[in-house]
Amino acid sequence: MNAPAYNFAYLNEQTKRMIRRAILKAIAVPGYQVPFASREMPMPYGWGTGGVQVTAAVLTPEDTLKVIDQGADDTTNAVSIRKFFVKTAGVATTERTEEASVIQTRHRIPEAPLTEEQILVFQVPIPEPLRFLEPRETETRTMHALEEYGVMHVKLYEDIAQYGEIATTYAYPAKVADRYVFDPSPIPKFDNPKLDNCPALQLFGAGREKRIYAVPPYTKVKSLDFEDHPFEVQSWSEPCALCGSCHSFLDEIVMDDKGTRMFVCSDSDFCARQRGER
Amino acid sequence: MTERGFLDVAMQSAHAFRAIMQAVARPGRVLELGSDLEAPDPLLSSAAAVALTLCDFQTPIWLAPELRNENVIHYLRFHAGAPVTDEPGKAQFLFAMAGETWPAPALLMQGTHEYPDRSATLVIQVAGFAPGDVVLSGPGILSSEPFGVAGLNTSFWAAMVENHARFPIGIDVIFAAPGLVAALPRATEIRLLESV
Ligand SMILES: [Zn+2]
Repeated sequence: MNAPAYNFAYLNEQTKRMIRRAILKAIAVPGYQVPFASREMPMPYGWGTGGVQVTAAVLTPEDTLKVIDQGADDTTNAVSIRKFFVKTAGVATTERTEEASVIQTRHRIPEAPLTEEQILVFQVPIPEPLRFLEPRETETRTMHALEEYGVMHVKLYEDIAQYGEIATTYAYPAKVADRYVFDPSPIPKFDNPKLDNCPALQLFGAGREKRIYAVPPYTKVKSLDFEDHPFEVQSWSEPCALCGSCHSFLDEIVMDDKGTRMFVCSDSDFCARQRGER
Repeated sequence: MTERGFLDVAMQSAHAFRAIMQAVARPGRVLELGSDLEAPDPLLSSAAAVALTLCDFQTPIWLAPELRNENVIHYLRFHAGAPVTDEPGKAQFLFAMAGETWPAPALLMQGTHEYPDRSATLVIQVAGFAPGDVVLSGPGILSSEPFGVAGLNTSFWAAMVENHARFPIGIDVIFAAPGLVAALPRATEIRLLESV
């Protein structure tokens, strides 16, 4: 047998097999967090080592990879992950959502609708949606086993009592396929509706916490809410200052040292397309 | 002589995994699973590709009597490093042939409600696929997916209906036909058609 000069996509075959088995079980039990033996990666944990390991396990040399960080392709984090896979897997890369077959993301879902041909890989810092209500893992595991999500509803309802609305705007919990409550990673709740019935396979990797979970294509993802306080996404009173879009997620940015501010699309590829630049 | 496994392990297993993953993500959809390996009779090369992509020293394998011969056992030990067990209830992967001996899904590792991932995957070798046995729905399926497998009878489908009823515990099934793969994970709802 010829030993390869390097490991395709960095990880050795045994590690990829272990991660691949975890991914299949994650798909088979939508929204359930599968423990896996997360490996050290040549980048710090905050840089999405869970997402990187999932991407490494699913990539083929024919893939075209897009990496976004808060909607942008050009942050240090996104650029370094893209370079990492160009070097270790020889894949093509793109900034255009519709050209990508695998998209690794931190904190956003692209505005352009995804297709059956695409795989979306999320970088997850804290996979457990019940963590802030119950720090003990044995307890949260039992709560998931018994489908005992009362504490989560109580927390959300306390928000309503205190603020008049549900205060959670990121990492907004949702129920997958009517069974598991899950954390969609710190995406804005604006993106939650895109999780639902999405044609693309969605995979989630948490490196430090050693968990992988999945939302299969065309799977119901219902953001938690109450009859008298239905789930709502963020909205803005003005359109994107660059492209004029009224239906994308906007970031507030400071324009100059006088503190002039404006709202622009967080998804830079979407914004460029809207402006006709791509 | 031992038949050879993947010529290029990293590339072949990456491609095989993509096909297997898409099959599990889209239950009932039949996808191509080609590879460059040679498999010892009567193991199909698609089933061998599943084994070499997913199995290793951490995953005990059970083989149905029709598949259990010296060559197959040696092949799986040599290329996957996987231990072969006689006890279906202890196997993480089980390989069987449609229409022949296969263990009742209820007797296999189901996982627990705390750890539903600790469950068996049953790989069934089949001659081919033909919609007509069942209609599938649930996660991975837009509305419904007609599905059928050559050589599987009503009792198999009834057992799989029971398997789904145990969700989130239960087993997951991968069907391997010559050059093809399809899957039936436990989350899939199954409606039997009258003609089965
Ligand atoms: Zn814009």
